[in-house]
Amino acid sequence: MRDEAAVSPLMKAIAILALVVLLLPVAIVVLAGLNAGEYLTFPPQGLSLRWVWAFLSSPTFMGAYLYSFVLALVTTLISTALGTLASIYLSRSRGRAAAALRGFFMLPIVLPGVVLGLALYVFYVSTDIGLARSFPGLLIGHVLVTFPFVVATVTASMVGFDLSLEEAARSLGASPWTAFRKITLRLIAPGISAGSIFAFIISFGQFETTLFLTVPNHEPLPMAMYISLRYKFEPTAAAAGIFAIALVALSTVVSARLVSLRRVFRA
Amino acid sequence: MSDIRLVNLTKSYGEGNAVSDVNLQIGEGEFFSLLGPSGCGKSTTLRMIAGFIRPTSGQILVGRDDITALPPEKRDIGIVFQNYAIFPHMNVAENIAFGLKLRKLPKAEIARRVTESLKQVGLAGYDERYQRQLSGGEQQRVALARVLVTEPRILLLDEPLSALDKGLREEMKFWIKDLQKKLRITTIYVTHDQDEALTMSDRIGVMSKSRVVQVGTPQEIYERPKTLFVTSFIGHSNVLDVRVLRAEEGSALVSLAGQELRTRNGGGLSPGAAAKLVVRPENILMGSALGPTDARLEASVISEIYQGALVRYRLKVGDQEIVAERQNQAHVERFPPGAEVTIGWDPEWSEALVA
Ligand SMILES: Nc1ncnc2c1ncn2[C@@H]1O[C@H](COP(=O)(O)OP(=O)(O)O)[C@@H](O)[C@H]1O
Ligand SMILES: [Mg+2]
Repeated sequence: MRDEAAVSPLMKAIAILALVVLLLPVAIVVLAGLNAGEYLTFPPQGLSLRWVWAFLSSPTFMGAYLYSFVLALVTTLISTALGTLASIYLSRSRGRAAAALRGFFMLPIVLPGVVLGLALYVFYVSTDIGLARSFPGLLIGHVLVTFPFVVATVTASMVGFDLSLEEAARSLGASPWTAFRKITLRLIAPGISAGSIFAFIISFGQFETTLFLTVPNHEPLPMAMYISLRYKFEPTAAAAGIFAIALVALSTVVSARLVSLRRVFRA
Repeated sequence: MSDIRLVNLTKSYGEGNAVSDVNLQIGEGEFFSLLGPSGCGKSTTLRMIAGFIRPTSGQILVGRDDITALPPEKRDIGIVFQNYAIFPHMNVAENIAFGLKLRKLPKAEIARRVTESLKQVGLAGYDERYQRQLSGGEQQRVALARVLVTEPRILLLDEPLSALDKGLREEMKFWIKDLQKKLRITTIYVTHDQDEALTMSDRIGVMSKSRVVQVGTPQEIYERPKTLFVTSFIGHSNVLDVRVLRAEEGSALVSLAGQELRTRNGGGLSPGAAAKLVVRPENILMGSALGPTDARLEASVISEIYQGALVRYRLKVGDQEIVAERQNQAHVERFPPGAEVTIGWDPEWSEALVA
């Protein structure tokens, strides 16, 4: 932050332009959701809360919204816990096994979601272990998709983590668990928090893997929006989008609050 | 009791040993240094004592307790790391209180001891600062305070001065030594710097290639090196090729370029064998400075290097070169290049070692 003055006006202009380009679709969705007209159009034909009310009173959309929320929440909890443990292991072990494992953990990022969804579906069906089109089956898919993002962010936060901090705590009398909790966890908390935000957002918006794994009559929000748009070109889906965006923004703020990102950046 | 005994302590990593068969006894309240070049196994030894590394074999005893299998938190041994390891998310007071809180002391007692300990290390009023607001020397003091406030049985220091600049290093050297003396805490100090080891220690253990090769007081280590390694690692020495003529208990007669010399016997010498004669430049006398009982050699001056307080001579005896240093005092004899001169030394100040 000290170098703020050193950023050239050109860089600032490019940054602002990039921000505008990235935020434009968000603005379009929000405006489309506030449309007063019958159909999903842009620019909107006047503003109203008509479709927002339609969303709030639609059992399909509200159900899908809550379902996605719960799915994303459970996914985030599991992914964050597993991903953090994996990152700690990876950052503390050398050798071929750890390197191979690191690559393996990252695999779902490079694998197209469709391929992963299809693979899981075929696996569930062919083994007949009762996971096909079930909540646990879907949850496994979401954990697989989000896990690499947690591993990537938490591992990054552990780079340069000084193990002697933990050792100092140990010789001052802390058990391994206490030393981990009071030192390591505190210091990598921003990474864990960032990872969990990623996991939540990715799970909440996940579409292509979900496609193969959804439980009949329990569509997550992205599926519900897609289905709705296929049959009726109504702005309710865009209104749902407004709530999705709001939730993601809120989760970011809450998570950042919990670990006080400010403190990290101040340092 | 807080004396330490290391018994056949060994740590191997796959192919080689990081620490081999180390046997040491360190007395209560003693300041003991492990001195050796980088990679010789000092930190590994220290980390085994602290409990971060499990020995491959051997034992660590404190007083009468065998602590070899205890986890670090049960050892009551404090350690100061090379990089100080101040917890960056806690301020100075919280850092120092860390060990006390784990011991479940009452709040008021903790506050009192933190304040007291900050005063002891000369950092009164630094309570609220964070690691990033402290200089290297201040971090060093906080690290020491954090350890000492828990009153450990033993204090371990791993190259604590190597991250400081030279002036501060000199100051901290004496400060740490004084603090240790005042507290009478058994201390093991790891360093690769001979000056630190010589000035601070009660005794020094010199390590080379995973082994402790000599243990002794600074004076013994400096004046009576037992191996060529110790000789070359501590200070500067002339190491000369000689042949053993007679070897007795404690002393020997050797020949250097056809001239006979008496010297101390470092042990293991046999008549007729080649050996190395070790003598420090500052112990070499020249010309009229020689006494009647000194060992004598005829030499020629190659060059004279004026260094202010010192004058350094490069001399030739046979085909070997010897360096001599003389204090540049009033009326001291000077020798121009090319001059023939008798040089020598007290036989007690040279040592013949197995080549
Ligand atoms: N975890 C390890 N795995 C393999 N070799 C190690 C490990 N730790 C230390 N060593 C080796 O053991 C030797 C002694 O290391 P160390 O005790 O750190 O030396 P010092 O502190 O004297 O510089 C070195 O050769 C080092 O490479
Ligand atoms: Mg070391």
